[in-house]
Amino acid sequence: MTIARLFLAALLALPIAPALAQDGPLRIDITEGVIEPLPIAVPTFVAENAEAQQLAQQLAQVVVDDLVGTGLFRQIPQEAFISNITSFDSPVQYADWKAINAQGLVTGSVNVGSGGRVNVKFRLFDVFAETTLGDGLQLGGSTDAWRRIAHKVADQVYSRITGEDGYFDSRVVFVSEDGPKNARQKRLAVMDQDGANVAYLTSSDSIVLAPRFSPTGNQVLYTSYETGFPKIYVLDVGTVQRRVLADQPGTMTFAPRFAPNGRTVVFSLSQGGNTDLYSLDIGGGSPRRLTDAPSIETAPSFSPDGNQIVFESDRSGAPQLYIMPAAGGEPRRISNGAGRYGTPVWSPRGDLIAFTKQNQGRFHIGVMRTDGSEEVLLTASFLDEGPTWSPNGRVIMFTRETSGAGGAPALYSVDITGRNLKKIPTPSLASDPAWSPLLP
Amino acid sequence: MQPGTYISGAGHLLLIGWAALAGFFDAPPPPPVTTTNVSVMTGQEFAALTNQPVETPPDAISEQPQAPDTPEATESPAAPAPETAPDVAAAPDVTETPPPDDAPDVSEVQPIPRAEVTPDAPEAPDQPDTVPGASLVIGDSDTPTPRSVPRIAPEAAPEPSPEAEIDEIVREATRSDDAEQAPDPVEDEPETAPEAAATETVTEAEEETGGTQISTLAPAQSRRPPQRPNRPEPTPAAQPVEETPEVRETPAAEEPAPQEAEPETPPSDAINDALNEALAGGGADTDAPAPAPSGPPMSRGEKDALRVSVQRCWNVGSLSSEALRVTVVVGVSMQQNGQIVQGSIRQIEASGGSGAAAKQAFEAARRAIIRCGASGFPLPAEKYSQWREIEMVFNPEGMRLR
Repeated sequence: MTIARLFLAALLALPIAPALAQDGPLRIDITEGVIEPLPIAVPTFVAENAEAQQLAQQLAQVVVDDLVGTGLFRQIPQEAFISNITSFDSPVQYADWKAINAQGLVTGSVNVGSGGRVNVKFRLFDVFAETTLGDGLQLGGSTDAWRRIAHKVADQVYSRITGEDGYFDSRVVFVSEDGPKNARQKRLAVMDQDGANVAYLTSSDSIVLAPRFSPTGNQVLYTSYETGFPKIYVLDVGTVQRRVLADQPGTMTFAPRFAPNGRTVVFSLSQGGNTDLYSLDIGGGSPRRLTDAPSIETAPSFSPDGNQIVFESDRSGAPQLYIMPAAGGEPRRISNGAGRYGTPVWSPRGDLIAFTKQNQGRFHIGVMRTDGSEEVLLTASFLDEGPTWSPNGRVIMFTRETSGAGGAPALYSVDITGRNLKKIPTPSLASDPAWSPLLP
Repeated sequence: MQPGTYISGAGHLLLIGWAALAGFFDAPPPPPVTTTNVSVMTGQEFAALTNQPVETPPDAISEQPQAPDTPEATESPAAPAPETAPDVAAAPDVTETPPPDDAPDVSEVQPIPRAEVTPDAPEAPDQPDTVPGASLVIGDSDTPTPRSVPRIAPEAAPEPSPEAEIDEIVREATRSDDAEQAPDPVEDEPETAPEAAATETVTEAEEETGGTQISTLAPAQSRRPPQRPNRPEPTPAAQPVEETPEVRETPAAEEPAPQEAEPETPPSDAINDALNEALAGGGADTDAPAPAPSGPPMSRGEKDALRVSVQRCWNVGSLSSEALRVTVVVGVSMQQNGQIVQGSIRQIEASGGSGAAAKQAFEAARRAIIRCGASGFPLPAEKYSQWREIEMVFNPEGMRLR
């Protein structure tokens, strides 16, 4: 005990010497900061000719809506601007933008040439550093493509500030629903990720479920009850042509999903009362069995590298999440919390798995590491289900259904931090969203 | 050697002697643990007790149909058709869906010349009040309640009053007509208050776990104990008679030992005090002669004032998750008036992420230094030689979990 006291006493004596002198620069540790939306100014883009006047306003507004919609940015209203951007190539008066605390500034110009071709130029400035963030870019396209051009601009701004890819120039396929709850008509629809440009892919003659984009975004897998019981179809988004996959008599197929290579499909096949996972080449052939258990295996989803599959199984008595090699093999259970887990989806980044959880009468959308650790529940409601990842792995979209006789489904999105929970505008009731990859 | 050094050394020697000879490190016995039995009931059980109807949500998580539950399904499986066949009268308006519009052509744009900087910055116009509310209210419906506190800060802050200007330093409004009787007239000063903030992100699920309105029940700010509790009296048998009286003359609660004076998170009052103290020290006095290189070291309060003034502008909310793993060391050269030397902010080192992530982390750090250093950091002019060069280590590890 005495030795320990003497040792500690010697330790106490140590701070005296360093306090007397400071070698080198003063060093301070900053470990606490703030998390708040970044104030950003997006003046109306400069119209370089009369035809571009309306587009200039619309483009800037879509860029603002995209950025502000992430919850990571805050728009500084135009009324607060001191400077006006009257020419795209005019020098920026940084002091004017600093004075209103604009930390990012997006300037742009629009030109509509003969033949209806739109050219958009933009620059992003770090106002306080008085420098541009990246080079200026010019984007061109048809007049009809103006929203895509705006999304591309927003993607660039988002990427240059946050350091991660954007997700604005992407689409969502979903099940559009109309009619009363006991006679709901369902059809597949596709829209931009912000709810614009809705188009329908199927009729409402039969029930459709669980659409899933291909890795290139030009095909959609879905389940239809057209024949009276569930079958998987593959549909070309451009031509709306479709064909059935894995059409074996006496079986039911559902919950399909593409492999990252775009050539293989994994799905559930129910035969003789047992449901297992199978894989199939998109071109045809015979399904190959991946699991062989008396329980129900469903909702498969590939890891981004295509080497593993996460899926839902009730082999332990209640639905839980498991991971196995893509070619089949011994599954490893990853969900260990209370409640029932389902509809797992692997993040495009590969680090997280989103899932639906039911516990104590409430439904949640959550995320966990691929080993099941660090589970975080992001939402809670009467019924939340069916998560899908944005192309950059930052946002999750899902279905939320309200309770009661008038209950209705709608699409919602939430950031993986649990912030920025919001409803996605759709022209009718909507469910089962699936996000496309970032468009080329 | 200065008198302060002698005093400090003597104090340390006294402390060392007392620690070595007295029973200082004998840990007091742990307080007894009180045990309370609790029971858990489900929401349905609670509703049954209170006779409240509970709507049962769907019983399964599935994107697939219910068909797998029909083991006899062979030739004619029970078709999970809708309860009533939809009468589709309207012709489906399926058309050839145009694929996404052609991808825009992308090319670079020529850089622009640098603007001429006007000497005087124009005055900022009044900005519309866009400060969000501070309440985290749980709605009863399934429609998500707008999450109205997007700002996360080291210290929670309630919603400031509408008249208050946003400032880290809390100050009550002063009006000249209130002080007409005073010998020294005062100028009108608006009320200031920090922006509304929470200390960490609360997901919708976490809000429900609380089962009540967090903002209305939780204190807006934790209250620190007024002083440290007194240490237990050392046992008389273990005390050398000559040493004990000197130690008792200096109660720990009033003059804590140097090691005890390091609160991990200083309370807001301490921050304000540190800022005010440092500001009052004449950090912006540009006419003061340059201090000798061998000047006194920076005190902990002065360092804290600098740290606080930087961290309130360090916004990591827009950083990617990879950039939030990067610790970046930023070097900056300072002028004697506390302002940064233009163009001197540089990245010294970065660890924990790719080059792109380090770049984003550095840019966020640079914005913080420039924004909050625009009017000069609160630094003591007489110690200029100590802070002529500063290295700031931006470590977002703690922020990543919020």
